[in-house]
Amino acid sequence: MSKDTRRAKRGISLIYPRLIFPIAVGAVYAVLYIIFPEKALSAWAQSLNVLTNVAFPLCLVFVFMVLLNIALKPGHVGRLLGKKAGLRAATLATAAGIISAGPIYAWYPILRDLREKGASNSSLAIFLGNRAVKPFLLPVMISYFGWIYVLILTILTVLGSLAVGYVVEALDAHQKTS
Amino acid sequence: MNERMRMRIAVSADGPDLDARVGYRFGTSPYVIILDPTTMIFEAVPNPGAAGGRGAGMQATALAIGKEVDAVITGYCSPLAEKYLAGHGIVTLTGVDNTVRNAAQNYLEKRAKSDDGGVAPPRRHFVHTPAGAALIQATRGAARQFARLLPVLVGVVFLMGLFNTFVSRALLSTVFSGNVVMDALWGACIGSIVAGNPINSYIIGGELLAYGVSLYAVTALIIAWVNVGLVQLPAEIAALGRRFALMRTTASFFAAITIATITVTIFNAVAGASG
Repeated sequence: MSKDTRRAKRGISLIYPRLIFPIAVGAVYAVLYIIFPEKALSAWAQSLNVLTNVAFPLCLVFVFMVLLNIALKPGHVGRLLGKKAGLRAATLATAAGIISAGPIYAWYPILRDLREKGASNSSLAIFLGNRAVKPFLLPVMISYFGWIYVLILTILTVLGSLAVGYVVEALDAHQKTS
Repeated sequence: MNERMRMRIAVSADGPDLDARVGYRFGTSPYVIILDPTTMIFEAVPNPGAAGGRGAGMQATALAIGKEVDAVITGYCSPLAEKYLAGHGIVTLTGVDNTVRNAAQNYLEKRAKSDDGGVAPPRRHFVHTPAGAALIQATRGAARQFARLLPVLVGVVFLMGLFNTFVSRALLSTVFSGNVVMDALWGACIGSIVAGNPINSYIIGGELLAYGVSLYAVTALIIAWVNVGLVQLPAEIAALGRRFALMRTTASFFAAITIATITVTIFNAVAGASG
């Protein structure tokens, strides 16, 4: 088997798992169309309408992704998280969480390594909490909920992550002393 | 030794010492040996992706990037992992079938020949690319991220279409009764057991909202979707310890309910004041 063929097969095997879910949904539509054709068509039309509505915000998401890819690398995030404790560490962990991207399981080894180098539990908890704030996804969120709601939720998510960081640190200290 | 002259390499290995064979697959070999080939001082790190499965290669890649190595030596490394490593200025040498010690010595000898001075170049975190190339690279990266996100997103949109058409409001109101605390609790529970890109939680939340589910429930769902993640809990326990993972997850669950309640209360007050 040629190298190109192996690579092509590997590419297909990476794509397939992502397609299983939409294909399964398509199969459900096909079955429901046979049983309830009018309802299935209505659901289809509603879904197309939703897709049309999110098309523009999704274009903005793509642009934001490009800009973030240019500006940020995982190494930047690691350096922001490397501080040991205090207000400065919390601020940097917040920034690191907000700008971090990609699947969480790719971050766990880095977080473990940073803790071994002295990053506090509160910094790690703050980082994980702020992963809920995704600047490049804001256009979609705003299109659904409006900017006032998104602004309030974003601020409170950041404050909430700081509270979770504090609680985790306090509980950890309490368990160690008791 | 001068800090700028220090060299560090990562070698996939079948065992935790320098006499172990170089591991065939970078992503799933049992150990990654981090060593300075000039002094042979090493650290054997259990490979986070050794169990295989989804993301194994990326975990090993993240480890190498986190350890700030100059080069990765292995039998085989996926093109994607190689690309990520190259993006961080890390050279990947594949097809190596030797002991870790010999592989490191060979690497050092090759470097000595190619550098003509026998000294590693100063550490660098990123390869500097021209602006045009950086833009192309960033666009390709975004396209890949988008390609990963889009199929599931489209599936979710069409699933919500079915949900809106086939699930009655009466059925939904048996779960989401309109009670602030209970709605937020249910929202947080659903958000905790589902995982994936947060953009899907916005779409599901938006559709639930249009269907009459309270904003308290939807907000708790959106927050818990990323912050709690019971699906990811085993991986978090493995990486950061049971105590930390359980404390953080529990605190995040209650925080989701609290933040949802406060957010919607403030939002309602602001919306009411602005008419």
